[in-house]
Amino acid sequence: MSDNVSSAQASADSQVGKNECTAWQTLLQRIPYSGHLGLEAQQCDAGILIHLPYREAFIGNFMLPALHGGVIGALIEITARVAAQREDTQTRCPRILGSNINYLRSAQAQPTFAIAEIVRQGRRTSLVQVSCWQGDKTAPIASGRVQLLFATSGANQDDSHEG
Amino acid sequence: MTESKKVQLSDAVETARRFTEQVPHNSDLGMQVVSVDGSKVCMRLTPQAWMFSDIGRSEICTSILYSLADSASGLAVFAEAQELTPIATLSLHMDYMKPAYAGRALLAVAICRHLIDDIAFIHCDIFSEGDSQPVATGSATFIRNTWGQRFKVAESKKEGYE
Repeated sequence: MSDNVSSAQASADSQVGKNECTAWQTLLQRIPYSGHLGLEAQQCDAGILIHLPYREAFIGNFMLPALHGGVIGALIEITARVAAQREDTQTRCPRILGSNINYLRSAQAQPTFAIAEIVRQGRRTSLVQVSCWQGDKTAPIASGRVQLLFATSGANQDDSHEG
Repeated sequence: MTESKKVQLSDAVETARRFTEQVPHNSDLGMQVVSVDGSKVCMRLTPQAWMFSDIGRSEICTSILYSLADSASGLAVFAEAQELTPIATLSLHMDYMKPAYAGRALLAVAICRHLIDDIAFIHCDIFSEGDSQPVATGSATFIRNTWGQRFKVAESKKEGYE
């Protein structure tokens, strides 16, 4: 009986995880540059992670070869943005104010993964910590913090399009 | 490049400039080197619709500005050092002051602030072409002389950097 209960709970949890993963994927699909990079949300034990496939166009140093720092930067910024947006009660789309990224190891020509941790979710701002790895999750290749701003009733939104 | 140490001054910069445009990610985004003047580098990028941060909005994704700043800063290291030893980004900090919109090219102006044997400190501004105020500003550190075993040098001297 208790087995039935726990398996029912596990199945409900897995459904919640699946829905969350779909929600992340939907937000990613609203970002054209994310589509160019081929970013994809995946479910894991720790929550949702973002997968960056390997492509030759992502190389920044063809001698090593190694991925371009900017591709890792994009993975971190976009992961942070989607994480902050999912965390917001109204799923408002935040604006990226700044990022601070440290490169810890050479990013090889292989798939890369990123996972976000919300450091502080406020009413107007969010600070998100993102860690990236390749083969071994305990040996991150890069780590970054991204600061984001939510528009409050349009007041902070710079709407001067084509400004 | 693996055998080159110090080539002629202008040759090294010219090679770095060609090399920068041939880097796969740089050519994927269509980055062009406009000028290399001393240690001051100017690079240009023409935004495309797939670089946008949202469907239906012509705002350019900040990550495009980030890549442009990283590449321009890297070239500024070669321009200052005047040699072609490989480098790797150690850290990059970006502040996005205002949104950058399509319709105007992005310009990156990077300058080497300080160079020591192992590290280069770079400052980079990103402009929407025609504006005098930058849309974003960045500061980067690069580790130099990363001959293949990139961070081995950094690891063996770690206490020096942390």
